[in-house]
Amino acid sequence: MSVTPEVIPVTNGLSPQTLLLLSFALVVGLLTVIAFSRRKSRSRGNALLLAGPQDSGKTAILSTLSYNQTLPSHTSLQVNTSLVPLSPVRSLPVVDIPGHPRIRDQFQEHLTTARAVAFVVDASTISRNGSIVAEHLHHILHAITSLPPSREAPALLILAHKCDLMKSGTSSGSPSEIAISRVRMILERELEKRREAQSNGMGIEGLGAEGERSDMGGLDCSGPGGIFKFADWEGGEIDFAGTWVNVGERKDENGVDVDGLASLRSWLEQISL
Amino acid sequence: MLDHCSISHKGGVVLWSRSFTPEASHLASSPSSPVNSLIREALIEGRAAGEKYEKDGYAVKWTFFNDLELIFVVAYQRILQLTYVDDLLAALKALFIKLFEPFLTTFVASLHAIKNGRITARDAPKPWNFAKAFDGWDGIFDKILKGFEDKAAQERKSRFRTVSAAPLDYSPPSDDLSTIPSESSIAVQDEQEISRNFQALKNKLRGRGGRRGGRGMMRVESGSGRDSMPASDSESVSKKAKGKAQRKWGETAPSETEMASLDFSIDKLDSSKNDHLSHDLQSLVDKTSLGTRTRDGLYEVKDWDFDTKQDAITRALQNDGAKQPSGSLGALSSMFARLTGSKALTEQDLKPVLEGMKQHLMKKNVAMEIADKVCEGVGESLVGKKVGGFQTTSNAVRTALSSSLTRILTPKTSTDLLLSIRTKLSSPLPSAQQRIPYSITFVGVNGVGKSTNLSKVCFWLIQNGLRVLIAACDTFRSGAVEQLRVHVRNLSMLGVNGATNSKGRVELYEKGYGKDAAGIAKEAITYAKDNDFDVVLIDTAGRMQDNEPLMRALAKLVAINNPDKIIFVGEALVGNEAVDQLTKFDRALRDFSSASGAGKGRGIDGMLVTKWDTVDDKVGAALSMTYVTGQPIIFVGCGQTYTDLRQLRVANVVQAILSD
Repeated sequence: MSVTPEVIPVTNGLSPQTLLLLSFALVVGLLTVIAFSRRKSRSRGNALLLAGPQDSGKTAILSTLSYNQTLPSHTSLQVNTSLVPLSPVRSLPVVDIPGHPRIRDQFQEHLTTARAVAFVVDASTISRNGSIVAEHLHHILHAITSLPPSREAPALLILAHKCDLMKSGTSSGSPSEIAISRVRMILERELEKRREAQSNGMGIEGLGAEGERSDMGGLDCSGPGGIFKFADWEGGEIDFAGTWVNVGERKDENGVDVDGLASLRSWLEQISL
Repeated sequence: MLDHCSISHKGGVVLWSRSFTPEASHLASSPSSPVNSLIREALIEGRAAGEKYEKDGYAVKWTFFNDLELIFVVAYQRILQLTYVDDLLAALKALFIKLFEPFLTTFVASLHAIKNGRITARDAPKPWNFAKAFDGWDGIFDKILKGFEDKAAQERKSRFRTVSAAPLDYSPPSDDLSTIPSESSIAVQDEQEISRNFQALKNKLRGRGGRRGGRGMMRVESGSGRDSMPASDSESVSKKAKGKAQRKWGETAPSETEMASLDFSIDKLDSSKNDHLSHDLQSLVDKTSLGTRTRDGLYEVKDWDFDTKQDAITRALQNDGAKQPSGSLGALSSMFARLTGSKALTEQDLKPVLEGMKQHLMKKNVAMEIADKVCEGVGESLVGKKVGGFQTTSNAVRTALSSSLTRILTPKTSTDLLLSIRTKLSSPLPSAQQRIPYSITFVGVNGVGKSTNLSKVCFWLIQNGLRVLIAACDTFRSGAVEQLRVHVRNLSMLGVNGATNSKGRVELYEKGYGKDAAGIAKEAITYAKDNDFDVVLIDTAGRMQDNEPLMRALAKLVAINNPDKIIFVGEALVGNEAVDQLTKFDRALRDFSSASGAGKGRGIDGMLVTKWDTVDDKVGAALSMTYVTGQPIIFVGCGQTYTDLRQLRVANVVQAILSD
């Protein structure tokens, strides 16, 4: 005598309509979870990155922003992260990456958390070491353009720092304007050289991993002839600002700015950080 | 005596600094200050470990406090033999941390607001007032420094005395001096102990006096002679006067009250200032009384107000000493501390792990000297650091070592040869001059593959559309010119983008054997200039780094032709020899080329590591080479054909070195 096992479908008691409703609810739930996690991952990128060559004044900017006074500083050995109070309720995480060539690559770890990148350039010495600064900026442009498309590219600001040290010479205009135009001109020239050198060159393969190219992109421009201009850069918009700080000074009692970071602050507001 | 002293955070913020001369203070604010160059050239590159660093006539000494990420730096004139700097640094460290720990902790926390991508929001931002926070420190620093300077002056005098009194036996100074350094160390020192030490010192001196017999008179004479002697030690006159007062030490045993009068680390004349100082410190302590760790110590401040004779320094150090023997719970408590993530690494913890790492590095063919230094640097950066949670010591060491290796191997100058060639070729000429070609010289010891890899570089340059001239400056080894001729023939038959052959793109400039290499190179460059070549590759004869005549000849070649790049070719098989080869090549080039030509000598600009395919993962030579010169490895040769030229990937090398 054998008992034939009867297979009872799980959906036995459910009408096709309820089944449809249930599956619909499941899909909606999944979508919400995905959207939520996406939002979370996006909201994670909210920091301001301070990058740039050494001695350009990144740590000074950081200390001015977060302590309201410019502390003297020397070459940084490690990354500083600090919370800068923007308003009574909000504060902005600021990451200061050392500019020494051997440790500047750390910015790549922090790029995923960045909402904005400020590339700090010493405007008073740019004419002497333009190619070194351009190389550093190239690394950053390359990193920004090679971010996965799912991630929003961070806003990029080029800060012509130490405007107060500029020798204005005969040309008219405020020091920060002169600084900005000089920084823009020199960096465009140097980056164009780099782009040109790579566009018709043949790189050398990296040792080890196959198919990994050693040359860096990130300098593509939509302008005529592909000549590098910050305005035509395909990776996004690049803003410029001129700033300065004075070591040892602090904000006076009634909160009036005595540092020259006003343009940086207004930029931060503009991109609503 | 000192020129500059600073206390700063590793992130770059200077908490406190002082310059003692106008030049030093001017220099301190510039990018080329001794502190900046110390960090750039020694600390970040992991080069100097534990010793002092010298730059521009300054000697710089430093010490870390890893838990709070602080660096204490002292810079002084290199010609001065300051013996007390180490002790001064240690005392500064102990005291500064003792006094300001709560403030420093919040400060360091404020610089680590984001950890692992998560915002660890601390307390509400309060107004930071650094000037106020370190208010009393200036005075304390003055005291410490004065104490050490006086002690050093004393020491020097006592040394002079013994030396001049007993010129025949030089060994005695060591036995009576041995008590003095123990005083100056930062170990527990209270008045009683000092008094005991003096008793011991006195006994010793008396014993010596007996030994010496009738030499007493001579000692006095020589003593007075010493005072009239021109001061070789740049001590001020006032300090000398103090030294005289102290000379009665030998006669009576100093009691505790006398000790107070002899203790020059207190500024008794300036008691009003001292009052003021104590007041400042009081306010500090009040503000920081939340700190639980120093609670027991700081509660004693009440005593201190009454008793201004005893100074803050002794007090703080006493607390230190009192707390040390409290670790009686032993292994259990240390395990617990480790689990809660509050255990600081000690040298004892690190020693076996570092030793193991050193052995491992040496197994990977890293030169012994380099492995030693790298491990020492890693240890220095870890002592006192707190390892959190379940992270083991060896894990922490491994992470630190990996980041240290990455730092050493990452090039600090551009390795983009093509870019610099194009920049030079396209740079505007001053006048109607002819364009000067870019020249690269290959140097190295015998048989490492200079010619072979030169031809690989040549192939790569041709592929990039450049016209290359090879100068056969190896006029020594038979067959060298013929070897290059074969290479040129092969290269000119290989096609380059579209064209079936690259004829005219590469040529050989040869002048046979036995001629002067420098002259041939010069002629080759002129020839290239006239015939519109872009790049000149100069092949030189291999030579032993110890062979001075040949090294001089090489330096002459460099000095005369001033090539744009000097590339050292070394094989990956080299072990301990790498250090010797590179240092000697670099030094010989610098010394001899600066001697023959005007201006500064040229060193090696980059390295090419050959025979990479023969070493598997024993790639330690790359580390040794970059460590010694600080210059980047531009290419790696890894095979027999023209295409076997690669660029180094730092991450791969680090991985290969660390892999088991």
